Amino acid sequence: MLKRPSSRRKSHSEGIELNLVPILDTMVTLIGFLLFTTSFLAIVSIESPLPISSTEEVMEKLKEKPLQLTVAINEGTTEIYSVSDKIPRKSIPNTAEGAVDLKALHEGVIEVKKQFPSEETVVLAPKAGIAYETIITVMDALRGLEPTDPPIYRKNTRTGVDEPAKGLFTNVIFGNLLTGDK
Amino acid sequence: MASRRGIGSRRGRRRVKKAFELQLTSMMDVLVIIVVFLLKSYNISTHNFSNASGLQLPISGSQDNPTDSVQVIVTPEALTVENERILDFQQIALNAGSKEATYAFKPTDLDESGMRILPLYDALVKAKERTELLLAKSKKRVDGKPLAFEGILAIQADKRVKYDTIKKIMYSAGAAGYRVFRFLAMKKDT
Repeated sequence: MLKRPSSRRKSHSEGIELNLVPILDTMVTLIGFLLFTTSFLAIVSIESPLPISSTEEVMEKLKEKPLQLTVAINEGTTEIYSVSDKIPRKSIPNTAEGAVDLKALHEGVIEVKKQFPSEETVVLAPKAGIAYETIITVMDALRGLEPTDPPIYRKNTRTGVDEPAKGLFTNVIFGNLLTGDK
Repeated sequence: MASRRGIGSRRGRRRVKKAFELQLTSMMDVLVIIVVFLLKSYNISTHNFSNASGLQLPISGSQDNPTDSVQVIVTPEALTVENERILDFQQIALNAGSKEATYAFKPTDLDESGMRILPLYDALVKAKERTELLLAKSKKRVDGKPLAFEGILAIQADKRVKYDTIKKIMYSAGAAGYRVFRFLAMKKDT
């Protein structure tokens, strides 16, 4: 028996429907898992080794006359100097708000890095009353290179090719740990 | 009029009989976006750092991810080592013009000319011994010997804490055999 023209049209228009329910179940489970395990609090770290003094090493260093770049954070100023007087002493006054002038400090350190591109170590000597937040921001200014900073090239000792430096003075050591100065 | 009403009622009956279908496509779109966002912000790291209440970490532009190590939490009021509160600071005075109190070490907690924090030193030595014991029991070996104690100390300090306190902590840790300090901070938004 022939079908009526109206019923034939209906059967042709019906498409295959995808069963989305199991996919939805998977998605919901995945979201639950991700929400449970993800850490929205991103924590980073800045590493600093304990300063170790060795008489032999010191003697060896004295022969080479190392830069020994030191950054002293005082209550009103920040000073950049070299223990072996390889760079002129620079004193950066704090901003009008009383905070360390990070921009001037960063620029000052870039100038030193340009002169000594292979140097990686900086000695930090904050005063006792300096807040931890200030120390972290100063360490950031001493270690990192911003995308807007001029490129600094250093010679790769293995290949002999000049390569752009990835950071400034990445090895920060606290120089006044063993002294009881205020 | 009567015939029109009759057709209308028949149509209505047909509508009621049809099963209610939920539009899942738009819901799928939303869920896919959420999954993509979560996967993008998913941070694969092995660290398990606990946080103290009221602790305000400073913000840093560093890109280094911390690994698991012995952890010290320094709040303006107390010191915590491996989730164990080891000492409370002594409230000394209110800062002029602010409601925040100033805290300092109790004189009995310090020795070696006020440089070494005794409870911290003891707690760090215990933590070191515990780690060395675990390393000795571990199957991981280098040339048949257990892995050496790395001596890394993660310092999670409140941004208001003064360097004087941090310095004493580092001095005590150095005396206890820790050679590397990792200062933890919140990652700066780029």
